[in-house]
Amino acid sequence: MTPGALISLKGVTKVYEIGEDQKVHALRGIDAEITAGDYISIMGPSGSGKSTLMNIIGCLDTPTEGIYRLEGEMVHEMDDNQLASIRNRKIGFVFQTFNLLPRSTALRNVELPLIYAGVPVDERREKAEDALKKVGLGDRMDHKPNELSGGQCQRVAIARALITNPSIILADEPTGNLDSKTGVEIMQILVSLQEAGNTIVLVTHEQYIAEHANRVIKLLDGLISDDTSN
Amino acid sequence: MFTRFIENLRIAIFSIFANRLRAMLTMLGIIIGILAVTLMGTLISGLDRSFEKSISFMSRDVLFVTKHEWFGDEDWWEVRNRRNLKPEYVEKIKNLSDYVLAAAPLIARTTTVRYRDKSVMAVQTNGTTEEYLQVSTANIETGRFFTAGESRSGAPVCIIGVDVAQELFENEDPLGKKVKFGPHQFRVIGVTEKQGKFLGLFSLDNRAIIPLGTFQKMFARRGWSQIMVKVPAEFVSEAKDELTSVMRRIRGLGPRDRNDFAINEQEAFRSQYNTIKLAIGGTGVFITILSLVVGGIGIMNIMFVSVKERTKEIGVRKALGATPKTIMSQFLLEAVIICGFAGLIGLVLSWFGSLVINRFFPSTMPVWLAAAAFLLSLLVGILSGLAPSYRAARLHPIDALRYE
Ligand SMILES: Nc1ncnc2c1ncn2[C@@H]1O[C@H](COP(=O)(O)OP(=O)(O)OP(=O)(O)O)[C@@H](O)[C@H]1O
Ligand SMILES: [Mg+2]
Repeated sequence: MTPGALISLKGVTKVYEIGEDQKVHALRGIDAEITAGDYISIMGPSGSGKSTLMNIIGCLDTPTEGIYRLEGEMVHEMDDNQLASIRNRKIGFVFQTFNLLPRSTALRNVELPLIYAGVPVDERREKAEDALKKVGLGDRMDHKPNELSGGQCQRVAIARALITNPSIILADEPTGNLDSKTGVEIMQILVSLQEAGNTIVLVTHEQYIAEHANRVIKLLDGLISDDTSN
Repeated sequence: MFTRFIENLRIAIFSIFANRLRAMLTMLGIIIGILAVTLMGTLISGLDRSFEKSISFMSRDVLFVTKHEWFGDEDWWEVRNRRNLKPEYVEKIKNLSDYVLAAAPLIARTTTVRYRDKSVMAVQTNGTTEEYLQVSTANIETGRFFTAGESRSGAPVCIIGVDVAQELFENEDPLGKKVKFGPHQFRVIGVTEKQGKFLGLFSLDNRAIIPLGTFQKMFARRGWSQIMVKVPAEFVSEAKDELTSVMRRIRGLGPRDRNDFAINEQEAFRSQYNTIKLAIGGTGVFITILSLVVGGIGIMNIMFVSVKERTKEIGVRKALGATPKTIMSQFLLEAVIICGFAGLIGLVLSWFGSLVINRFFPSTMPVWLAAAAFLLSLLVGILSGLAPSYRAARLHPIDALRYE
């Protein structure tokens, strides 16, 4: 492992067992390192294992085999409580389907990670307001998701991912549910985050989106088929 | 910790409020359960109080010789054929027994008592001797009791209870006034002190006492109802044994004959009362357990529904760092709040209920019981919330997020 690497994956596999004897090898052995400040784009055909890999990096799922180190911590050995804590402190996840709480306001949605981090109310309110302003939603704080457009929802989700100041921001097809114009706006936000020093891993099908990245990893059938930095 | 607790509290209250009709319906079982246990407690406390108050009219050191046992299960045919108790027994008992301090016969009927144009119906009228004052707990408030001479000669004098005095005389002084028991005229020589109601049912002050001789002269010479025997308080059971053998001698029973009389004491009332209390308590506890179990299952059921409906939300919360413990306590808290709220509603309703009970006899809801009932409802919440919240806590974040 390269010293200073933010994330290091070694021989990571993921096998889903469906029923008695059917197995799906979603990942067959991933070796990769991610350096702080990287902007990585993961590409590949549908079913190649992109989401599976993102979920493992995001600690939402655990590898069947292999080693996953995040800032020196052995994530693959962690129990549910430790994983929850890592997700809370070190990961900012942006989903394709936003995954906002429908009955809570934008502000409360953004506050949520800080609540689970135990941050007192005044401090987290301030941070949440800042984060929302950063994504251009300073005037929509008290709106609920159904009162916001798709692009605005995704901005709320980005603000939520940012708020704990995580080590890495993971975005799995963040523009997948948006029209191309809105998608571009979202991408601009991500680019500006990277320029501000954040580490970003992004899954996308769109070549023009991947072009913003300084490194493109291509997956095929659960293996890395290509890894190019530019 | 505190921040997360507040958040969980907020989620729980919000979620209950969002589904208030559903929550209300499932609260019903708990409400009924809490209502049953607290009302039962109130009822028993009232009964206890009124029983203790009532039973005090009967001293612990007085034995009651009767033809049959008060709460006995003797063969009624056999009891019916028993010989009546006779007035001479009183003297014989006093001669033969070492323990007896005083003894008085008591014969009873109800009569209508009149004074001028006023009348009191169904007055409990007792014929007895001058020793009655020693064996009973009745005290003279004004005037006097009758003498041995008046008792023997059958003088037309009477002592009346305060209720009767109140009804007939209001503000007049009853002493020396002539009242009528049916066709017979009596002179009021005394009024007894207030004794209250027996078990809240009938008044002990709606009564009149007349000399035994007078009773026998004026009313039908019916069978003796009982003989009251005062014994030393510390030797009640010895005295009871002795009195049994004395009575057997008086009745001329052979060694093989069964007793054809009974000796009762306050204790008989007490044990009879305890049986009733046990029955009420048992019913209350049964209803309570039944409705709490049914209510608890209902709560468990809606909690499972709630977990299912909010699977996606659980996924989001987990993805953002909620630990299994946090999710578990979120749903546990929801179940506990529903049950605790139901418990409070139950307590409020039973407070109104106890006001109603209070109109029949003085009673209070025991505070410890209200507290225990509330804790019980919280316990039901914990128990019924356990399985659903455990399921929520164990959900895999990815599976939960994907759930539609
Ligand atoms: N929970 C699961 N159970 C069983 N198989 C799964 C599960 N999740 C993913 N898979 C399988 O693992 C493989 C990889 O899936 P994954 O979602 O990572 O693909 P992807 O690259 O993200 O595809 P897409 O571009 O369509 O999102 C697929 O064959 C999929 O069917
Ligand atoms: Mg995918």
